Amino acid sequence: MILVDGITLLCNDLQVDPQDIVMLVVSWHMKAATMCEFSKQEFIGGLQSLGIDSLDKFRERISFMRAELKDEQKFREIYNFAFAWAKEKGQKSLALDTAIGMWQLLFAEKQWPLVDHWCQFLQAKHNKAISRDTWSQLLEFARTVDPALSNYDAEGAWPYLIDEFVEYLTENGIVQNR
Amino acid sequence: MSNQKKRNFQIEAFKHRVVVDPKYAEKTWKILEHAIHEIYNHNASGLSFEELYRNAYNMVLHKFGEKLYSGLVSTMTLHLKEISKSIEAAQGGSFLEELNRKWNDHNKALQMIRDILMYMDRTYIPSTHKTPVHELGLNLWRDNIVRSNKIQTRLLNTLLELVHRERTGEVINRGLMRNIIKMLMDLGPSVYQEDFEKPFLEVSAEFYKVESQKFIECCDCGEYLKKAERRLNEEMERVTHYLDAKSEAKITNVVEKEMIANHMPRLVHMDNSGLVNMLLDDKYEDLGRMYNLFRRVPSGLLTIREVMTSHLRETGKQLVTDPERLKDPVEFVQRLLDEKDKYDNIISSAFNNDKTFQNALNSSFEYFINLNPRSPEFISLFVDDKLRKGLKGVSEEDVETILDKVMMLFRYLQEKDVFEKYYKQHLAKRLLSGKTVSDDAERSLIVKLKTECGYQFTSKLEGMFTDMKTSQDTMHGFYASHPELGDSRTLVVQVLTTGSWPTQPSVTCNLPAEMSALCEKFRSYYLGTHTGRRLSWQTNMGSADIKATFGKGQKHELNVSTYQMCVLMLFNNADRLSYREIEQATEIPASDLKRCLQSLACVRGKNVLRKEPMSKDIGEDDAFFVNDKFTSKFYKVKIGTVVAQKESEPEKQETRQRVEEDRKPQIEAAIVRIMKSRRVLDHNNIIAEVTKQLQSRFLANPTEIKKRIESLIERDFLERDNVDRKLYRYLA
Repeated sequence: MILVDGITLLCNDLQVDPQDIVMLVVSWHMKAATMCEFSKQEFIGGLQSLGIDSLDKFRERISFMRAELKDEQKFREIYNFAFAWAKEKGQKSLALDTAIGMWQLLFAEKQWPLVDHWCQFLQAKHNKAISRDTWSQLLEFARTVDPALSNYDAEGAWPYLIDEFVEYLTENGIVQNR
Repeated sequence: MSNQKKRNFQIEAFKHRVVVDPKYAEKTWKILEHAIHEIYNHNASGLSFEELYRNAYNMVLHKFGEKLYSGLVSTMTLHLKEISKSIEAAQGGSFLEELNRKWNDHNKALQMIRDILMYMDRTYIPSTHKTPVHELGLNLWRDNIVRSNKIQTRLLNTLLELVHRERTGEVINRGLMRNIIKMLMDLGPSVYQEDFEKPFLEVSAEFYKVESQKFIECCDCGEYLKKAERRLNEEMERVTHYLDAKSEAKITNVVEKEMIANHMPRLVHMDNSGLVNMLLDDKYEDLGRMYNLFRRVPSGLLTIREVMTSHLRETGKQLVTDPERLKDPVEFVQRLLDEKDKYDNIISSAFNNDKTFQNALNSSFEYFINLNPRSPEFISLFVDDKLRKGLKGVSEEDVETILDKVMMLFRYLQEKDVFEKYYKQHLAKRLLSGKTVSDDAERSLIVKLKTECGYQFTSKLEGMFTDMKTSQDTMHGFYASHPELGDSRTLVVQVLTTGSWPTQPSVTCNLPAEMSALCEKFRSYYLGTHTGRRLSWQTNMGSADIKATFGKGQKHELNVSTYQMCVLMLFNNADRLSYREIEQATEIPASDLKRCLQSLACVRGKNVLRKEPMSKDIGEDDAFFVNDKFTSKFYKVKIGTVVAQKESEPEKQETRQRVEEDRKPQIEAAIVRIMKSRRVLDHNNIIAEVTKQLQSRFLANPTEIKKRIESLIERDFLERDNVDRKLYRYLA
């Protein structure tokens, strides 16, 4: 198992910050089960699928992997992967703090204007873990509903938490009443 | 002939030499012409029918039909023109009489002429497609008399004038009218309709337009309707007396339109006498009249229904939200029942039991009963009051009637599960305190609820009754197996099955020594006969009868709750006890204990204890003494409070919360049921289906349904579709 120390070493060698989102992409390629851990199988399997057999090659592939985040489809896969990866082993839901951290990271890439409000809302009103359904549906929400909420459909089968978020936005005047 | 040869006997037409006299036709015609003159001059008696018939016959036979026919036409026309003059000359009233007389004469003449010319009628006329004699006579009459310049307008005006006079109250010669109208009818339907009926209807419309305007300015609604009804009847009577029956529908339409349809809104909304006032004052006759009149016009009944519905909803809403009314639940429900009775009577007495009105009544009640979230609780309290004392001495039939009426209100409730919760609580109290007036009535209501809502609704309630019965048997068994306890039954135990009775948290309470031994005996007896069960004493639900002797020797029997008993028994061993000491000794929870002490020391007439200080609030250091000065008129004094009451705010919140909690699994079960059978379903449809399934118990909240769906997704019962995020799939 490669654990935190090992990963820090790896990042050093790759000249990449351990907090850099590209490490998430790496983990995704490796199909890592949990963050900050690589099993031998995952590590080797991942490197093979990426066609990496040397540190140099690894470093080169970094920029390729960064670019992958720009791909709509790949981003969605990586985003959904992140849920299982970031949560505690054996838990069904993702702890709120970790989720917020992940969202900050992911939406820095994707550029969702409401991400900060979302995180504030969760901390103020929700204070509980995030379910898988809420996690995946949030991406859809960020992708399809515009920040002014002009095309938000109340009957749209959005998870209840997202409906509450919309209410929060309108109540606090962040978004105009429709 | 004596010719013996066998020959067929031939019969030949009788030939006789007819001399065809050229002037023959003219001569024959002259005879007939003369006859016609005589007939019109009332001199027909001198004529020979046989001769005239023969002459006509011969003319036709010898091919002079044309001459005959045209001669007939011109001769008749001549006479009719003279008749016309004499009719025109008639003055005033005799105009119609003259017309009538001449018409009768003409008909008689026509009859005779037709008889004479019958051969022509039967042979020449059909073959030449000419108008038959009788019809010809009518047409000539029509063209020369009825539609002549000088007569046509005068005739119409005369007739209309007479109708008008009759409408204003004068008596007219109806027989004459009938004859004239019949004349018009005989002349052909278009004559009647064009020359009379159409103008008649127009004039009538004008008349009624004016009259209705006049009435509506000066009459109130009821009076106006009476007048309208009278006019309608008059017109129908007029038709039977002297108009064509086919005119009835047309003239009634006119009256209906002018007097009713055009003024409906104004009538219905008239101040102080309109529909709402009639409803308030139970004016069955007026309402019935309005119903019968309005049903004749389009949207008439709709108008009445709409006004009634909005009035009902408004009054109902006020009834249900009036804070005064809400103070007494029994009164509240009684008012609802009274209102229902009132409208049931109106609909049956005045509105002909019209189903659409029944439906409007039902939907209105459903609307406003559910405006008040406490309605289910109050209805249960009403039933509780009746079953406790209200139905005492009432006949079985009347009991059924009252319960059926309550069921009607129950049906209107949207939150039936809330009712169930309260009903269970109230029933428990009734059963445990033995305070029900009639076991049969209780059972009867359960049966009605079962019929309405199904087995699940009542299974727990029935369980409660079963427990009571079983407990009786258990008691028998217990005392039978413990003969040393003697005849006096100090302890009576009801064993309640946990699931059936309203849930109570079990609390601590130290029973007095006198009791605990006996209770233990029962416990071991019961567990001896029922292995695998657990018993816990519900000290907050029991009651006790204790005998007390006070300072001046006055003896009383006190009916108290178990808690109260525990407290009072302490005073057998102490004269003075502080609150803290009592709390320690009994271990009764603080809030219950305080309430208990208040009921023993602070209520006038029931203060068997004395408290220092005398304040209502219980402080930690307050001291309690037996009130040696306690008096009561009665030997038996009831202090325990196990009666069902309107809940306090916090209790209400708690119950409401429990109901909401209970609804969650029901919603989930419904979702799973639906998804299991449909496999894949979209969001809006799930919400609709679930709501429909749960409708008979409560109105499901779409947000709550959504939350339950999410919970089911979390637990892997359902999943969202990959492509369409609004679609859900059932995971086996």
